[in-house]
Amino acid sequence: MIILNNIVKTYRMGEETIHALNHVSLKVDDAEYLAVTGASGSGKSTLMNIIGCLDVPDSGEYLLAQKDVSRLKGSQLARVRSREIGFVFQGFNLLNRLSALENVELPLIYQRVARKERRERAQEMLNLTGLSDRAHHRPNQLSGGQQQRVAIARALVSRPKLILADEPTGNLDSKTGEELMDLFDRLHQEGNTIVLITHDASVAARAQRCVHIVDGEISAATETEEEN
Amino acid sequence: MQALIMALKSISGNKMRSFLTMLGIIIGVMAIVVLIAIGQGANAGVVSNIEQMGTNLLTINLSQRRSNPVTLEKLQGLSQEAGIAHVAPTTSSRGSLKAGLITYDDASLIGTVPGYDSIRNWSLRSGRFITQPDLDNRSFVAVVGQEVAVELFGSVNALGQSFSFQGYSFQVVGVLDEIGSSMAGSGDNIVIIPFTLAERLFGAKGISTFYVSAQSADLVSTAEASVTAYMDRLISAASSSTTYSIYNQSAMLESLNSVTNTLTLMLGGIAGISLLVGGIGIMNIMLVSVSERTREIGIRKAIGASRRNILSQFLIESLVVSLLGGLIGLALSFLLVDLLMPILQMTITVSPVIAAAAVAFSMIIGVVFGLYPANKASALRPIEALRFE
Repeated sequence: MIILNNIVKTYRMGEETIHALNHVSLKVDDAEYLAVTGASGSGKSTLMNIIGCLDVPDSGEYLLAQKDVSRLKGSQLARVRSREIGFVFQGFNLLNRLSALENVELPLIYQRVARKERRERAQEMLNLTGLSDRAHHRPNQLSGGQQQRVAIARALVSRPKLILADEPTGNLDSKTGEELMDLFDRLHQEGNTIVLITHDASVAARAQRCVHIVDGEISAATETEEEN
Repeated sequence: MQALIMALKSISGNKMRSFLTMLGIIIGVMAIVVLIAIGQGANAGVVSNIEQMGTNLLTINLSQRRSNPVTLEKLQGLSQEAGIAHVAPTTSSRGSLKAGLITYDDASLIGTVPGYDSIRNWSLRSGRFITQPDLDNRSFVAVVGQEVAVELFGSVNALGQSFSFQGYSFQVVGVLDEIGSSMAGSGDNIVIIPFTLAERLFGAKGISTFYVSAQSADLVSTAEASVTAYMDRLISAASSSTTYSIYNQSAMLESLNSVTNTLTLMLGGIAGISLLVGGIGIMNIMLVSVSERTREIGIRKAIGASRRNILSQFLIESLVVSLLGGLIGLALSFLLVDLLMPILQMTITVSPVIAAAAVAFSMIIGVVFGLYPANKASALRPIEALRFE
């Protein structure tokens, strides 16, 4: 699903050059559930941005579903994000002016899916994440866990090849976080490819495999055994 | 369609701000529509005044030195010339009329020939106009204006009645339709009598003024050329020193038109500036809105919105604000025009062209001033936009 080859990404901060990613290579198989851990400033956010096609590497090669996406321009990247990737953010990142259903519909709008089909698919995703009765609530009328479920529904609605989650439980209490991780487990069982970025070891432990980033490099991959 | 719904949502999400932004456009459109309508109303008033006198009318004034060669007989040839429909000399006087015990002091007597009624676009309410036999016989007949008829005989139905002027008794053979007062001053106080009789009564020798009507408004200049050639021939044949001047109604109309048009354009231009200022207001608010919604833009981009999606979202938003403002402004200007009409005492109509143009202009303003903020929004990089708090 994902093949990263010698990815380099540097940032300039004033005089200093920061090697956010230093020759990172990584492979994620279809239907794999991978956790990426690392301290803040380790480069894991940069890795997520590149995997999520929000940014392009300075050098190196990134194949997403056999397609080289490392040299794409803005509008092509937007297309890849729209078709191939579903994002789940730490801060939920829902639009507060829209209802839960409308938030879930949003990716389909950018894919030009017809209104009726959009509605149906969005409602279906909300049902899947257990929010069938909250479709017309605004995000600020929902609890954190519910908001994150809406965000997951939004990530799933376009049937992406890859679900990319950035600290999905970061803003949730541990019980709600647990419930959410159960949802990820279920999505994994259903055959979704998931990349989870977190600094929380207990969250990372739920994944099939875990890689650790230190100073822009992948340290000896700590492979956790599959628990399920 | 979806973009439109999104735009409406975000506009209604901040009603006060959207309204204030719209206000600039509302006032701008109102100013343009109302000021131009007033300008056009004034213009139409002047034009209709002049047109009442006939746009194909030429007035020829003669200055009499020693001998005046222009006589009724000699003028008759002119009506055969190119472009000319009717020729009618007039000679006028003022005086008082009497019918029984009633005296009417304000009468304006005009001696003229058949055809003068069509030159001046007059129509008869009843009876007939002066005829050639009246002229030949110097008959004591008169065609009177409505005011004269009412004052002398108590009703417009004055046909067959008689009145006296300077001791002579005239019979009313026709009553004119209401003319109304116009720039020419000829109101309804006129009494038309045969030219030949008037010459005698008024003691005027020769013709000092005559009117010519062109066959159509397009032929006015042809008619003017014909008159010039004819008069020059006439005067040089008589080796007279008489001079004449031709007063062209349509030329007058054109110059007046151009003056009022310039004025209208100027008013519209000034109003256009206020619309421009409204546009700058839109740009200002859109820029604020873009920076407020940086995070939203980041989210939208992360979940697949392309640059173009974001650009059109913000562009449609500013377009909707300006279009709504334009339409509200247009509606209010119809109200304002209705309010102003009795105050200004003139007919003001909002022409559909101006209304459409004002709304179109407000839309253009919306696009032009929305472009920069929309472009700024669309150019945001998703990572940075997402990091924005």
